Amino acid sequence: MNSILVYLSVHDARIKRSSLEALSRAREVGKASGMAVEAAILHSAAAEMASVAHAHGASKVFCMANPIFDSHLNAPLIAGLSKVIKMSSPRAVVMASTEGVKDVLGALAIRTDAAVLPDVASFYVTSDEVTCERPVMAAKLLASTTSTHPLVFISVRSGSYEVSEGETVGTVEEVAFDFDEATLGATLREIVQTTGDTVDLSEANVVVAAGRGVRDESGKALVDELASITGAAIGASRAVVETGLFPATAQIGQTGKVVSPELYFAVGISGAIQHVAGMNNSRVIVAINKDADAPIFDVATYGLVGDCFKILPVLNAELRKIIS
Amino acid sequence: MKFCVCIKQVPDVQASVQTGRMVLNAYDASAVEEALVVNEGTDDVVDLVLIGPSSATETIRKALAMGASNATHIVVESLGGLDSHAIAHILADHFASHEYDAILTGKQSQDSDSGLAGSMLAELLGIPFATNAVGLKAEGEDLVVTRQGDSGQEIVALKTPCLVTCSNDMNNPRIPSLKGIMGAKRKQIPNKEAASVSALTDVSKSFSPPGREAGVKWEGEAEELVSQLVSKLQNEAGVL
Amino acid sequence: MEEKFDAIIVGGGIAGLSAAMTLARGNARFLLIERGEFCGAKNVSGGVLWGSDLARLVPEYWKEEGGFERFVNHRRLTFMDEGSAFSADFKSNHFDEAPYKGVTVLRAVFDAWLAEKVQEAIDASAHPDESFIATDILVEEILKEDGRVVGIRAGEESFYANCVILAEGVNNLLTRQIGLEGDYVPDDYVAVGVKEVMKLDRARLEDRFQLQGRSGLTNEFVGAGSDGVEGGGFLYTNTDSISIGLVLGLKDLKKKGKTPYDILNGFKAHPSVADMIRDAETVEYSAHVVSTGDIRALPSELFADGVMIVGEAAHLLLNAGKAIQGMDYAMRSGILAAETAMEATKLGDFTSATLSNYRKALEGSYVLKDMRSFQDAVHLLHQEQMFGPIPNMICDFGRQFFTIDSEPTEKASKMLRAAIKRHTSYWDLVKLGLKAGRSL
Ligand SMILES: Cc1cc2nc3c(=O)[nH]c(=O)nc-3n(C[C@H](O)[C@H](O)[C@H](O)COP(=O)(O)OP(=O)(O)OC[C@H]3O[C@@H](n4cnc5c(N)ncnc54)[C@H](O)[C@@H]3O)c2cc1C
Ligand SMILES: Cc1cc2nc3c(=O)[nH]c(=O)nc-3n(C[C@H](O)[C@H](O)[C@H](O)COP(=O)(O)OP(=O)(O)OC[C@H]3O[C@@H](n4cnc5c(N)ncnc54)[C@H](O)[C@@H]3O)c2cc1C
Ligand SMILES: Nc1ncnc2c1ncn2[C@@H]1O[C@H](COP(=O)(O)O)[C@@H](O)[C@H]1O
Repeated sequence: MNSILVYLSVHDARIKRSSLEALSRAREVGKASGMAVEAAILHSAAAEMASVAHAHGASKVFCMANPIFDSHLNAPLIAGLSKVIKMSSPRAVVMASTEGVKDVLGALAIRTDAAVLPDVASFYVTSDEVTCERPVMAAKLLASTTSTHPLVFISVRSGSYEVSEGETVGTVEEVAFDFDEATLGATLREIVQTTGDTVDLSEANVVVAAGRGVRDESGKALVDELASITGAAIGASRAVVETGLFPATAQIGQTGKVVSPELYFAVGISGAIQHVAGMNNSRVIVAINKDADAPIFDVATYGLVGDCFKILPVLNAELRKIIS
Repeated sequence: MKFCVCIKQVPDVQASVQTGRMVLNAYDASAVEEALVVNEGTDDVVDLVLIGPSSATETIRKALAMGASNATHIVVESLGGLDSHAIAHILADHFASHEYDAILTGKQSQDSDSGLAGSMLAELLGIPFATNAVGLKAEGEDLVVTRQGDSGQEIVALKTPCLVTCSNDMNNPRIPSLKGIMGAKRKQIPNKEAASVSALTDVSKSFSPPGREAGVKWEGEAEELVSQLVSKLQNEAGVL
Repeated sequence: MEEKFDAIIVGGGIAGLSAAMTLARGNARFLLIERGEFCGAKNVSGGVLWGSDLARLVPEYWKEEGGFERFVNHRRLTFMDEGSAFSADFKSNHFDEAPYKGVTVLRAVFDAWLAEKVQEAIDASAHPDESFIATDILVEEILKEDGRVVGIRAGEESFYANCVILAEGVNNLLTRQIGLEGDYVPDDYVAVGVKEVMKLDRARLEDRFQLQGRSGLTNEFVGAGSDGVEGGGFLYTNTDSISIGLVLGLKDLKKKGKTPYDILNGFKAHPSVADMIRDAETVEYSAHVVSTGDIRALPSELFADGVMIVGEAAHLLLNAGKAIQGMDYAMRSGILAAETAMEATKLGDFTSATLSNYRKALEGSYVLKDMRSFQDAVHLLHQEQMFGPIPNMICDFGRQFFTIDSEPTEKASKMLRAAIKRHTSYWDLVKLGLKAGRSL
């Protein structure tokens, strides 16, 4: 009852940065309210990642090593996590708000009788209650939300907290997992990846995002060039995902991903609230838009009013000089 | 396939002047559209269920006008105290006596952005589910879902009965025709009381977050703009 | 032909909704079609609905939460030059009693509310399932058979009715399609309205404008605000926002090569205006064509076999200096056309013989009576002097009259003569004064 369990999502056999952010915060909260912090890793190579969890403050790490977790499928993940939650018996379970987590959160809560505070921007845990602030109404408002339920799940928006290191010693508990695949009501047929899906957008330090103003392949080439010069991940507005110019995984916003890089380029993006909801936590925002009244300029640190087809070639040349 | 779509009425977040206008949750509109498309050319039903105040009939009619078959209105005068957990339980109670091949929900409510009710409902009903669908196809007894995952699109085959939560990136919901609007108006929408449930979370207050201050904005020739920007990025922001 | 309505109304603005309300109350079966996502979605208006017809449509509307923003109990007419403003200011408690003589409205809110009231009236009528308000649908064509209007086409769908009421607003493509108006509208007959809605905390707004409860202020402006272009400005108080804008003559704008947006920014920066909108945040900007109220702009006829034209689609609007009256005209004409349609249903005759009663009723009402008797005032307003020399002169006089400067002061009459001389001539003023006397 008096611990906080952190579920660590894995991508490419590495713990996601957003999960380490959540773990770092859990460590702080645990320290303040006198709760132990434990972690769970569900992956065939779980044991190899345990030390990272220790380094960020988890005293005990539950490792459930089974290859079934290496590609996302909700049923086994729910079963696995339920088992770990039963063993750990925590006050709260904290996780990064990834697509994988969003997929299991609700069902897992029902199965383990937990309350859920999803997609929070900040949280606090005491033995009496869990409180958080979460963006609502397409991030136009923040809602202070509380639960006094004995078990509470919290999923944290990426970029809400910084990653920091904590204690370094801890234990590992290997947990066996058997799953009868025949009972599965769902089968994963394939995972379709597009190029660009390899850089994890929500963890990137620099993001170059394209909107309808980028128009076509020639505009996309300029955006790609800017991204490769700055080592950025490529994002997109819904409008250009719809046209097929950019893959759906690149979409940033209310329906897409939440990003919080150090530097965000919004190229030809008008700045609709649903888009801004996914990027207004970025530290520095550069907007390039030919319409001086575009709402994106209301959130931009630096705004360039002009045609991106004229500006990007100059910017790319200039940055190439500086960076190389 | 026999579909039922759970639809919600939400405030119009887009309006610049707050008009208090209520609309169909955009994700639910996509769910209705997708069900209609999958069932095109068949006689299979696409039913609806909504939990909300009496005034939400207007939203139900909008979805009926798109071409849905029948709707149930579970009347709850205020959604205020109901979180996704409570909604899922009320819906589960409804589905205890109504059987479908597939239940569709939106991937999240546009107002609360919770994204929980669908998968909670699936667990309560004990049926397989997939969230954040961007594509849907009926294949015999199975529903094949393309879902947007963390690193690519995952194609998952679900055995029916099942539940899918839908993204608005799935399609562009149709605009009802005049005939659709008139037909919807003439349909009876049975009302029903909500099962009694409790919420596990509580919103104590909502407030405007400290807004981001607009920074500087330059107009001019590309060369000028770029040199101003680069100098700021290097000297002020320290990101280059 | 599967369904035939008593009437089809094209346009869910004020004119269309007023007709619909009247038809619903009369148990008629009708279809109202609006192209916006909801009634009010596309409508722009400066925002004062004058007169008391609203109380006819929605009795005791003032007891409701929704609908209008504030009732007008404080009116101000301001003459401005570059740096000063000279106002005639009138506030009276006789304005405080319902039914009010004028209410400010935001169309996205008001039209949607009125549509809801119409829906309630339909539900309470004898045919709750046979009348419809359909939104998000554009009427593309008016259907005719043997020269008479019989219905409409929207996309692939056609619907038929005994008569069609065209309430499509000033951009009256369908009215032109059936030949009641030429394709070309002279620049003289239309102006451009630009408007911003600016949010201001309710308590601050009420404090700033000395408002109580739902009372409100209207302020019209003549002079420097329109930057030398024919036209004028307005500022109206809403519940927690301000509507501010300009109506500018299209011809003069073109001639002087100025853009409405720049003029609006200049207007907002004028010291007397800037003080009123300080810290208010623009949440909506819109621009819309508006009739000038020139009676020559009226369609060749307001009816034909099976059709009637109402509201601004028929260019029914008056702007004679005191106020813009377009919404109240839309309301009254909508009501009268609907009454005519019901009369025609009774007679079973929808030819122009019966529908001409609509025109007769309109001629007998304040709408066409006022439009006729204030034509000279409308033309007077378009005179160059009205938006330059006259306001300048008034402000010049004000500056001298109100300044106390430890110097010997002139008598007011002398100041006035001097001001007149500086900005216009006696002779011009006398001529203008005579005209004004006759026209107002
Ligand atoms: C429920 C819901 C969820 C949504 N979720 C998301 C989401 O997750 N993410 C998202 O992005 N959107 C989302 N949207 C859509 C959102 O409302 C906007 O429609 C979308 O963000 C617009 O994309 P855009 O800015 O690229 O396009 P537009 O709004 O069309 O803007 C294009 C911009 O490019 C500028 N431009 C054009 N040409 C040039 C040029 N040559 N040089 C420079 N600038 C130029 C224009 O001035 C304009 O400002 C959602 C909507 C709804 C209803
Ligand atoms: C800036 C400005 C300030 C003004 N200030 C005032 C004021 O203070 N007081 C005042 O009384 N008046 C004012 N007016 C004038 C007033 O707004 C109009 O006279 C009034 O709105 C006319 O009402 P209507 O119903 O005839 O037309 P509208 O309000 O224009 O409504 C027409 C409706 O028809 C719909 N429509 C059009 N074509 C079609 C189609 N083919 N199919 C389906 N639907 C269609 C439109 O979407 C619209 O909703 C102002 C106007 C402007 C522009
Ligand atoms: N009041 C409601 N009535 C019917 N379905 C609802 C309601 N609230 C939520 N849902 C369904 O659950 C989805 C959103 O879940 P959540 O974000 O948890 O509220 C919606 O897209 C609907 O499909």
